[in-house]
Amino acid sequence: MKRRWSSLFTSSLLVLSLMVSACSSAPANQSQGEAKPAESKPAEAAKPASTTPADTLFVGITSDQGTLDPAVTFDNSAWKITYPTYQRLVEYDGETTEVKPGLAKEWKVSEDGLTWTFTLAEGNKFSDGTPVTAEAVKFTFDRTLKIKKGPADVYSVIKEVKVDSPTSVTFVLSKNFPPFLSTLAANYGGIVNPKVMEKEQNGDLGQNFLANNTMGSGPYQLTEWRKGEYLKLTLNPNSSVKPALQNIFFKIIPDATAQRLQLEQGEIDIAEGIPNEQLKALKDLPNVDVLQKPSLFVDYIYVNSSKGNPALQNPKVRQALSYAIDYDALTESVQEGYATQMRGPIPKGLWGYDESAPQYKRDVEKAKALLAEAGAANLTIDLLYSDNKAWWETEALALQAFFSDIGVKLNLKKIAYATSREMIDKGEFDLAMGVWSPDFGDPYMFMNYWFDSVNFGLAGNRAFYKNGKVDELVRKAASINDKAEREKLYKEAQLITIDEAPYLYLYQKDFLLPVSKSVKGFVYNPMLEGIYNLAEMSK
Amino acid sequence: MRQIITKRLSMLVLVLLGVTLITFFLSHVIPGDPARMMVGQRASEETLQEVRRQLGLDQPVWVQYFTYMQGLLAGDFGDSIRTQQPVVDDLIKFFPATLELALTAFIIAIVIGIPIGILSAVRKDTGWDHAGRFFSIAGISTPVFWSGLIGILIFYKFFDLLPSSGRIDLTVTPPPTITGLYLFDSLVTGNWSAFGNSLWHLALPACTLAFAQLAIVTRQVRASMLEVLGQEYIRTALANGIHGPVLLFRYALRNALIPTITVVGLSFGSLLGGAVVTETIFSWPGMGKYVVESIAFLDFPAIMGFTFVISFGYVIINLLVDLTYYALDPQIKE
Repeated sequence: MKRRWSSLFTSSLLVLSLMVSACSSAPANQSQGEAKPAESKPAEAAKPASTTPADTLFVGITSDQGTLDPAVTFDNSAWKITYPTYQRLVEYDGETTEVKPGLAKEWKVSEDGLTWTFTLAEGNKFSDGTPVTAEAVKFTFDRTLKIKKGPADVYSVIKEVKVDSPTSVTFVLSKNFPPFLSTLAANYGGIVNPKVMEKEQNGDLGQNFLANNTMGSGPYQLTEWRKGEYLKLTLNPNSSVKPALQNIFFKIIPDATAQRLQLEQGEIDIAEGIPNEQLKALKDLPNVDVLQKPSLFVDYIYVNSSKGNPALQNPKVRQALSYAIDYDALTESVQEGYATQMRGPIPKGLWGYDESAPQYKRDVEKAKALLAEAGAANLTIDLLYSDNKAWWETEALALQAFFSDIGVKLNLKKIAYATSREMIDKGEFDLAMGVWSPDFGDPYMFMNYWFDSVNFGLAGNRAFYKNGKVDELVRKAASINDKAEREKLYKEAQLITIDEAPYLYLYQKDFLLPVSKSVKGFVYNPMLEGIYNLAEMSK
Repeated sequence: MRQIITKRLSMLVLVLLGVTLITFFLSHVIPGDPARMMVGQRASEETLQEVRRQLGLDQPVWVQYFTYMQGLLAGDFGDSIRTQQPVVDDLIKFFPATLELALTAFIIAIVIGIPIGILSAVRKDTGWDHAGRFFSIAGISTPVFWSGLIGILIFYKFFDLLPSSGRIDLTVTPPPTITGLYLFDSLVTGNWSAFGNSLWHLALPACTLAFAQLAIVTRQVRASMLEVLGQEYIRTALANGIHGPVLLFRYALRNALIPTITVVGLSFGSLLGGAVVTETIFSWPGMGKYVVESIAFLDFPAIMGFTFVISFGYVIINLLVDLTYYALDPQIKE
């Protein structure tokens, strides 16, 4: 025993000294020649914009991805990986919400809008060298419809996909659906290599494999995924596109401050997870630009118009709430001013937006009068929200203050995100906070989802709002191909839904992105929020 | 010895059974539908029902529990709803990272904490004692997200000595997985560049975590040492002319370590579960982040798997603590 203790002590001393040296100085010599150029570091002032190789892009993201299968994922953050790794029949054109040819060089639609025929461009290949054919297009859509997860719902209008020839494919729809072309440019329109069936397990149509791998014909492919650490894209050797960026690392850095420091140090080129209040400080950095563009991402309040507090069934009460809000003060306090007040359901930047539509402004007297008319004095209502968005807490407090000015008491009910979704789906709330961003560039994404009474609950009509006239207008707008006529119908429906206020239309957020000055060629498309046009970018 | 182990192991089974039971029922009582989270908000009702059937969510909770336990006994933790991968695979991926971080922090806390504790006791009420106590109290009262960020600011931003995130450089290939502990695996395979690189990455997060745990060790060692030093047998030893290191280490420390082991053992359990914040700050790909994301997604199988592994670890540590007790003082029979 004697010996044992003394030797334990000496050995612990030894370990101690080792640890102390590990903590204080670190084995710096072992790091030489690796990612970080530690030797002969230039002085702080002379620091280059990026310390990483010019053919490699480092993007800081905040969390790891779930599944990457285009037939399954509905998650915008997964799309930043899948979008550059797959191609679609049509693609969004530059900065606009219009589409341009992609895998399909041309297409035509029948008079009744029921058959869409696409002619494929030749020479596109999947990353294993297999050519992209009409067969692959059919396979992709059949697979999505068989898997029956989220994206299948978008494509439920497809009755049949027919292969006419190796370069021609026809979609037969069960009804006229004008936004169809636009849905093909969305992430779930990504064409999958039919060879995925070789990876099938227990009849899953390759879902398990595609959850962790990509099998598309885009300019890039996923080659490495260290869970919780990073995802790495490299070039698709068989793509006809020859991008400047050879490797893309999506580095998972959950902490905002850590991300900011790494951007400052030039270790990452793009930092996605930095909150607005820190962006002003970043603007002063010599090596960083903060891009600012209007987005189609809106933040709004669902006013439960049929299942919540009975007083809310009266449009006058909903209008009163709309008049109580000081919109400028709200965007200033929760978004540092990086937001624009909404005018109605369709945000600015998407066709169908009505510049002349009336807009609510704070008017306490008018709000009080409306409440009195409705006989809803001393109203007490609940506001449901979760911690899903960091700014919701501040927003809830601001709303509470605005409403108290018109004599409405607002109880704040903050609960877990998953639970809040369940309650919203069932209509168990008075007011609830929410955000929405469109999957495809068509006002259908707002008007039909938000107002059609067949979409009650999470599906989109989260206000449980029912108005026969509005139902008729949005359904008609979704069944004809004449764009001008559709726009007219949607504008009419907007005027009604602004007046009846089943939602409190708060603001559309700006898209803000701190980017190293060395990054060139990034084009922001509001339909592709958080998705990079990697093939055209360089450093 | 064998008796103790058998008895403890049977207790272990009971404890784990209790833990699974409580966690399972609690997590199923929370309103929220994981199937809905999985299929997305716009999937049709039919699809939703089908997924619920596939996941067995349409069964009564107790049926689900028995199905789950049946799988568990066969070593199957089910599939994660969020990542759609077997939970076992996810745990195998993330647990070693957390274990490596917690173990290193634990060793640092002990190796620094015990000498400080002894020093504080022996030099009671002197400058040494005050300094030691100040250091350890500073550690326990500074939130990890703060000390972690200060560490990053100093060692990453100003001196550029240590990396601020990850387990290993993106350009360095991790060692082949034997235990999943990078340090161990690279040592065994003689991969020195991976060893150095992962040690380099480990330094800051482990020291941050250790700093927060240090006070527990130093305070316990100091208190037990003071108590032991005041006892009669020490005075007897002193009267017999035994002083200095011999007295301190052979007579006093051994007795003082017994209560320390309990406290320190339990603190290791909390290190394992509590590394979440440290993992977030240092982008450490461990279980903490995995379980936080799983909770937000109501991913029951993942939450269950995490709880099971942590409670298993806790119970095993407890067993080890008891066995060490026994080794240190054979008079303790129970």
